[in-house]
Amino acid sequence: MLDFFVKKGQATIDFVSSLGRSGIFLIRAIFGLSFSLKSLSGLIKQIYYVGVLSLVIIVISGLFIGMVLGLQGYSILIDYGSEQAIGQMVALTLVRELGPVVAALLFAGRAGSALTAEIGLMKATEQLSSMEMMGVDPIKRVIAPRLWAGFISLPLLAAIFSAVGIFGGLLVGVDWLGVYEGSFWANMQQSVDFQEDVLNGMIKAIVFGLVCTWIAVYQGYDSIPTSEGISIATTKTVVYSSLSVLGLDFILTAVMFSSI
Amino acid sequence: MGPSGTGKTTLLRLIGGQLKPEKGDIVLDGNNIAHFNRKELFEMRKKMGMLFQSGALFSDLSVFENVAFPLREHTKLPEDMIRDIVLLKLNAVGLRGARDLMPAELSGGMTRRVALARTIALDPELVLYDEPFAGQDPIAMGVLVQLIRLLNDALGLTSVLVSHDIPEALSICDHAVILADGVVIGEGPPGDLKQSGSPLVRQFLNGLPDGPVPFHYPANDFQTDLIG
Amino acid sequence: MYSRYIEAVVGVFIIVGFIALGFLAIQVSGLSMDSQKETYRIYAQFDDLGGLSVRGQVSVAGVTVGKVSAISLDKKAYRALVEMEIYKSVDNLSIDTVASIQTAGLLGEKFVGLSVGGDPDVLADGDTIFDTQSALNLEKLIGAFASSRSSL
Repeated sequence: MLDFFVKKGQATIDFVSSLGRSGIFLIRAIFGLSFSLKSLSGLIKQIYYVGVLSLVIIVISGLFIGMVLGLQGYSILIDYGSEQAIGQMVALTLVRELGPVVAALLFAGRAGSALTAEIGLMKATEQLSSMEMMGVDPIKRVIAPRLWAGFISLPLLAAIFSAVGIFGGLLVGVDWLGVYEGSFWANMQQSVDFQEDVLNGMIKAIVFGLVCTWIAVYQGYDSIPTSEGISIATTKTVVYSSLSVLGLDFILTAVMFSSI
Repeated sequence: MGPSGTGKTTLLRLIGGQLKPEKGDIVLDGNNIAHFNRKELFEMRKKMGMLFQSGALFSDLSVFENVAFPLREHTKLPEDMIRDIVLLKLNAVGLRGARDLMPAELSGGMTRRVALARTIALDPELVLYDEPFAGQDPIAMGVLVQLIRLLNDALGLTSVLVSHDIPEALSICDHAVILADGVVIGEGPPGDLKQSGSPLVRQFLNGLPDGPVPFHYPANDFQTDLIG
Repeated sequence: MYSRYIEAVVGVFIIVGFIALGFLAIQVSGLSMDSQKETYRIYAQFDDLGGLSVRGQVSVAGVTVGKVSAISLDKKAYRALVEMEIYKSVDNLSIDTVASIQTAGLLGEKFVGLSVGGDPDVLADGDTIFDTQSALNLEKLIGAFASSRSSL
């Protein structure tokens, strides 16, 4: 009986100390990026792996989600004779919520798990240790570029997601269901405010980018250096990232859009 | 040397400064590194090389780039000089022709040799080897054994080797230390150790299945187990 | 060569990302260069806002000439005080301009429509429009209709 509580207490302490470790890790990694030519080229390489290679899934998902929004939105709005509002519905949904959130979830699944696996493998094959033995800080050399790459890529990916989604909504609403193109754009432009909606969406994406990449990179760095350990770490990355994104989204939405 | 799990790798990591001891001192070249901060360790590591069990080559860099890595990090030498040094080191391990291959294309033995070239790239004074002979075929083993001894003598190094492979290790070392259960149970030149009276040292050096390290995992009486 | 390719692709990616952002800014939210236009303020009081909110459009004959910048309660007159920012280029709103709250479409957003009168004097920064028409309140309309019917 007492054993149960001891175990729970131990688990809590482990969790809290892990959180602390990851916080220190984050600070070291963020400030670890130097401005030399070498590290910038490393950063560019990571943006390629993390951002560019995620484009395919982002664009395809964005297109489909935009089209579904157009379809569903139309079927709901037509009952009120307000199908002209389809433009603003699709745009607001994407720019405020779905763009940043879905892009972050997809990112965590694709790029996040790849990062965790890569770093975990580097740890398991002692590459990180040998780097340290050669006097190179692996956090500066390996972790920092990846962290910044995720931080930079996700807002861009979220913007692309929203843009492609709106285009998908346009395809369905205007080309297929016959909503008048002029009112599609006009209603949208009137109700989407750059500062309130687009910018806030981008802020969300920046926050999500930081959190998802941080979790991915830390889980890899902290993983148990066996193949089983790596697979556990990868799973943790996807689960923790997804939950954090959804939780943060609620908090950010409450803060940003509470005036409405 | 010592049985599995006695802390040989831990000891190497302590010497390399990757782990900090809870008590006691580690004196290297007259300095107590147990209390070194990151900067002092960084300086220390320029004079040290460590060869990991798996080679630990950076999988995204070619063989040439791997060996050049410490040179690029710690020196400001121009590219053509770095090229010369890398080729020299690779030649010393016999892999100059493999310089453009990627680590994934190398065999286990070749990986270790490249890692060795990388370890000596900066001409360190101390080289630490973590189980360099583990899992090697006889030819690769022979190559590595020779290389370690030759390099040690040619470069005037101090080499610390951790291994289970007794005949190979004893054939090239000047002084051996046997660890068991966290204590030193025997040390000295290989000749002396082979004559040692300690039963644990005997069992270890001769590979005897039963002795101070028992064959049977603790269990009940056999007869009662079978019948009862 | 390989890293040249990667750098080029990353460059393209970043450009595409910014284009998407630009698209969202301009096409989607209607952020335009003229939003940097200079504006002057005029006020209007209404009995019933009927759902007009800040950022609502202000237009003349359907053309946007400004937006609602602030809404407050005039404590003395117990009417809604609406502050509007009008583009400086629209400087010929007569002082007898009528401001009415209208709806764009049946369920659309509320906006302020201005109908310009004939007075030669024009509104300047800080002026108030006195002739206002409040939002159409559906319940009152139905009530008025029902009571007019019953009086027949």
